[in-house]
Amino acid sequence: MSAKVTERVSERAATVLVVEDEKLIRRFVRTALEGEGCRVFEAATSAQGLIEAGQQKPDLVVLDLGLPDGNGIDFIRHLRGWSDVPILVLSARAHEKDKIQALDVGADDYLTKPFGVGELRARARALLRRQSRDGEGATPIMEFGDVRVDFSRRAVTRKGDALHLTPIEYRLLCVLLANSGKVMTQRHLLREVWGPSCVESNHYLRVYLGHLRQKLEDDPTQPKYLLTETGVGYRFQP
Amino acid sequence: MSFVPKPSVGAFPSLLAWQRFALALLACAATALIATPLLKYLDLANIVMLFLLTVLLIGVSLGLAPALLAAFVSVGMFDFFFVPPRFSFEVHDGQYLVTFAVMLAVAIITGQLTAGLRRQADESAAEALRTHALYEMARDLSGALMLEQVVDITRDFLHKVLNAESTILLPDSTGRLQACSGQKSARLQIEPRLAIMAYDGGKPVDCVQLADSGYAELYLPLKASQRVRGVVAVASSESGLAPEFLHTQQQRLETMASLVAIAVERVHYVDVAQNTQVQIVSERLRSSILSALSHDLRTPLTALVGLADSLTISKPPLAEAALETAEAIREQAERLAGLVGNLLDMARLNAGDVTLQKEWQPIEEVIGSSIKLLGRALAEHPVKVSLAKDVPLIEFDAVLIERVFCNLLENAAKYSPPGLAIEIAVHLRDGKLEVAVSDSGQGFAVDKDHAVFEMFVRGQPESSTPGVGLGLAICRAIVEAHAGTITAANRAQGGACVTFSLPLGEPPRIEEEVLAQEDGRQSCNP
Repeated sequence: MSAKVTERVSERAATVLVVEDEKLIRRFVRTALEGEGCRVFEAATSAQGLIEAGQQKPDLVVLDLGLPDGNGIDFIRHLRGWSDVPILVLSARAHEKDKIQALDVGADDYLTKPFGVGELRARARALLRRQSRDGEGATPIMEFGDVRVDFSRRAVTRKGDALHLTPIEYRLLCVLLANSGKVMTQRHLLREVWGPSCVESNHYLRVYLGHLRQKLEDDPTQPKYLLTETGVGYRFQP
Repeated sequence: MSFVPKPSVGAFPSLLAWQRFALALLACAATALIATPLLKYLDLANIVMLFLLTVLLIGVSLGLAPALLAAFVSVGMFDFFFVPPRFSFEVHDGQYLVTFAVMLAVAIITGQLTAGLRRQADESAAEALRTHALYEMARDLSGALMLEQVVDITRDFLHKVLNAESTILLPDSTGRLQACSGQKSARLQIEPRLAIMAYDGGKPVDCVQLADSGYAELYLPLKASQRVRGVVAVASSESGLAPEFLHTQQQRLETMASLVAIAVERVHYVDVAQNTQVQIVSERLRSSILSALSHDLRTPLTALVGLADSLTISKPPLAEAALETAEAIREQAERLAGLVGNLLDMARLNAGDVTLQKEWQPIEEVIGSSIKLLGRALAEHPVKVSLAKDVPLIEFDAVLIERVFCNLLENAAKYSPPGLAIEIAVHLRDGKLEVAVSDSGQGFAVDKDHAVFEMFVRGQPESSTPGVGLGLAICRAIVEAHAGTITAANRAQGGACVTFSLPLGEPPRIEEEVLAQEDGRQSCNP
């Protein structure tokens, strides 16, 4: 499956830029991604990373938030000034604020250190796939588990039975599905679903996401698709 | 040097009273001696002048009482030695009686006037010195950096200038007045009620009856710009001193009290500023050490986990045995990362470095995310979650409570045989949310069930299961930071059960969604 994905990105292999100051971490990230068929470029500092990003026009940037020269947040801001390449952030646990900030200024996903090859590849694949799908237009129908969502008819069914979703629940589901695989910060979801004046009302989001889980998940206490990224936000995992 | 006025002492204050009188007598005798040979050349009227001059000089130099004595002695001597018949007190010529009377009157008045002038000069000199001392005290106080210095400066001033003992009373943290200990020990007794009267009323309290009893008799409030900062208690230390003396100096004492008050207030603010500074610096240091440590420990572990993992995808593939080794390295490195995480968490929690990011949220959300987070560690243990109906939103820090669940689930998985379920039960009890995590393992060693929450204590001391005994200590620290409780017990049917509770509180209201509002943005606030 992975081979197919990278083929679809373009005729050439997908290029990935790894911005990380620790040589050994760079090395295994390179190994893991080259195993996926990607071409990997490395940068040890944020300044070098920006230059490389300009020259190589990568399809994905893997960025360590704790760089020796300036923080990763500034790097993302710079990069977002002229590029919408997907950014995967590497960060330590207990640094939720950094993660949220990174996501809010434009990062697409994060990985908590330490992480394995499998997790890294899965995230990278998801981001590259999203990248390649952009411009193809949204699919009118999405399916996950027993659930089928028909966007054209605004209909949701589970095991063939029609499900009743309230307008907010439906809108929340749509936002999550539209950003499939991507972490959505609470602030972002609140703004999308409730509007910009409600970005502080986190408990609304939590309650409505609970409703969605009740209706869509087999075991709402151990969800498979509507995942919580504790302290950060939510993610729809197809 | 003393600035306390004594009964007029003249120019030689160091002389004792009897010495003064003896000197006066000597002076009179000397005058008589000098005048005897002059009798041939001088009229008796001029001899009288010599005696009057002597009395004047005694009045200036030795004070009033010696001058009065000298006045009488001079008249006597004049009569005895000079008025005929000489060497007897007999007087033949009645006119001399007038001379004696006038001489006595002039001598007494002269003595009194000169001694009085002297005293006034002394007093104004002392007054000037006291004013100067007050100025010096103000200067010293402005340089004082510590309360002890203020206390000592005040005590020295009062001792030197008014010959009085003093103590400064300041309110402690509970608002009770306490004598402030300077470097010198205070012998002064305090009547607390009078001190409190002065402190609360903001007016001087004066109790003359207490003079010379060893108790302070005057209590002056230290009125600063913001509020009354304390009380200075004063007692005249030398008995025999005019008891009203302190009260004649009240104006000056009040000036002094306001100087001390300003100094105490300034020192107080210096303290506050310094403490804040120290706190900021130490907090910054602590969190920078912790984050440097966490970065330095996590970076090699991340590399280790990743590199070991990337061996499994190397081409050509490794031999079976090598693959297993790579897998084992990865597992151990991950475990180490977990331990390091626990240690750093504990350090953070212990250092008080954690501010709770409390939000209202359903508890099942963190249950789900922690099960998901543990992933492989729970592969051999199905988790059964039973959630009571209508559990409300709870206010907690999701990241930290997730940590509690992770630690409890990890423990349960570690200490129970593969295949047996771990149960999480959530229900309401006694106005609290109660969460029980139980397994079917061997349980805690008997009489250990309380100690397991201590750091580095393990339920099974000689267990071969890896761990250092921090998991439950972290759980307790987190739960207690949420004003909750945590207990451990063994279940009747076997296995360990850790129960923790969180307070319920008043969750915010959630507006019901209006179905008719199909496309408009929903309001989030009532």
